Amino acid sequence: MEHRNKIPGKNRIVIKVGTSTLSYPNGRLNFQRIEKLAKVISLLQNKGKQVILVSSGSIGVGAGRLGLKDRPDDLAEKQALAAIGQAELIKIYQKFFDAYDQNVAQVLLTKDGLINSLSRSNAHNTLNTLLNMSIVPIINENDTVSTEEIEFGDNDTLSAYVAILVEAELLVLLSDIEGLYSADPKKDNSARIIHKVTRITPEIEQMATGAGSSFGKGGMATKIAAAKLCDKAGIDTIITNGEEPSIIIDLLEGKEVGTLFVSAKNQQTFNPN
Amino acid sequence: MKTVNGNSLKVVVKIEIKSLSDPDGNLDEEKLERLVMILSNLHNSGMQILVVSSGAIALGSKRMGLKSLPEDHIQMQAMAAIGQAELIKIYQHYFEEYNQVVAQILLTNQAMTNAERQANARNTFSKLLDKNIIPVINENDTVSTEDIELNDNYPLVLNVARLVDAHIILIKSVSDGRYMIVPAGTTTPGIIVNEEELPEKLAEVAGERSLYEFESRVFPEKFELLNFQ
Repeated sequence: MEHRNKIPGKNRIVIKVGTSTLSYPNGRLNFQRIEKLAKVISLLQNKGKQVILVSSGSIGVGAGRLGLKDRPDDLAEKQALAAIGQAELIKIYQKFFDAYDQNVAQVLLTKDGLINSLSRSNAHNTLNTLLNMSIVPIINENDTVSTEEIEFGDNDTLSAYVAILVEAELLVLLSDIEGLYSADPKKDNSARIIHKVTRITPEIEQMATGAGSSFGKGGMATKIAAAKLCDKAGIDTIITNGEEPSIIIDLLEGKEVGTLFVSAKNQQTFNPN
Repeated sequence: MKTVNGNSLKVVVKIEIKSLSDPDGNLDEEKLERLVMILSNLHNSGMQILVVSSGAIALGSKRMGLKSLPEDHIQMQAMAAIGQAELIKIYQHYFEEYNQVVAQILLTNQAMTNAERQANARNTFSKLLDKNIIPVINENDTVSTEDIELNDNYPLVLNVARLVDAHIILIKSVSDGRYMIVPAGTTTPGIIVNEEELPEKLAEVAGERSLYEFESRVFPEKFELLNFQ
């Protein structure tokens, strides 16, 4: 539990929320859940923490706006919907955060923007400035100009890059399951949640295959990959269920919810076992 | 997801603008926006939503600076014409904030009794619902010769629910944030829930289809609703 005791002290936090948390299975936004998320993040900001939100959802919102029943498969059409939906999505976030007097800012990133050193340092400066002004940056992939569908591929990876960019202390990946299980809990009764991972071994990665939602882009595998990226940068990662956003408060109190991936760099004073 | 016999759960919502206004007749836009958010959320979850809203005469009178509601029939119709434009503008504005498209439908009693008009209205509703549009319905006061904006719009709500074969009549409390869920196909009394439990309870009622026997369309008349404020 000693690792969990360190969680409350973490100040700069990246929270990634996916389509499965933000939306109903049909892709339309779940407003009451977004409202709760805005409340929790505003509360953390009021406590003096710095939170960055990485949010998906723009394509589903765009489809809703145009009254489409299904998400399109065509890439160009998806990008068009993302352009329509992102404007709407940020407006809705703004509305819910406004109710808690919390300012937000929209930041859209592409992969080369995070690799190219000049634009990387620009993004770094912008995000730092926003955080120091107590503003919550809401980040998404800039879908409309991404030339390939798979640049970051999914916001799990994007959120890891963002956490590294801003030197965050914790990445929280909100999912539609409680965390990493020893086996697929839908198929295997003996499956149990693993609350702590101190080393991402091939066995751990093996557990991640199969689980995950069918609607969002990421599954457990991309979340483990994100945790791995953060591990190298000395950032801890927690995967947990976002259905009830107040779980973020619980985990920041050090409660044993979800799966905590402790970065090797944060274990030097401990015996890992 | 929320389906009854494979169809989306169809909900007719009864709203009285009066309940969203202060005693001087000023609309509390925050309250209205909250209500619209809740309904948009239900719509997003896959339910079909139809709004029946009163309030045209009150909004028209307010706009024209009248101190009280008119009593003269022609005056009332004039205020309804002015206020209806206002009413739909307000709904459109707030629903748009939550990414929803609305359509205005004004009905007369005639449309409810004449078979041909009934069929027309039914077709229009089903087209709109198919396109994920939320119909906002009121009585067509300006051409109605009787029954002008009754104190309570429940008769209209009931007519719309029958016309579209709704599963649920949802009634927003006049006095607080609660709602009454009335299974429209039954004589089962409604259940009263708060805003927080609304999505879940609606889904539950839909899930208990057999319990409520949605097939036998018995629409509750006013009885227990009178006590729900």
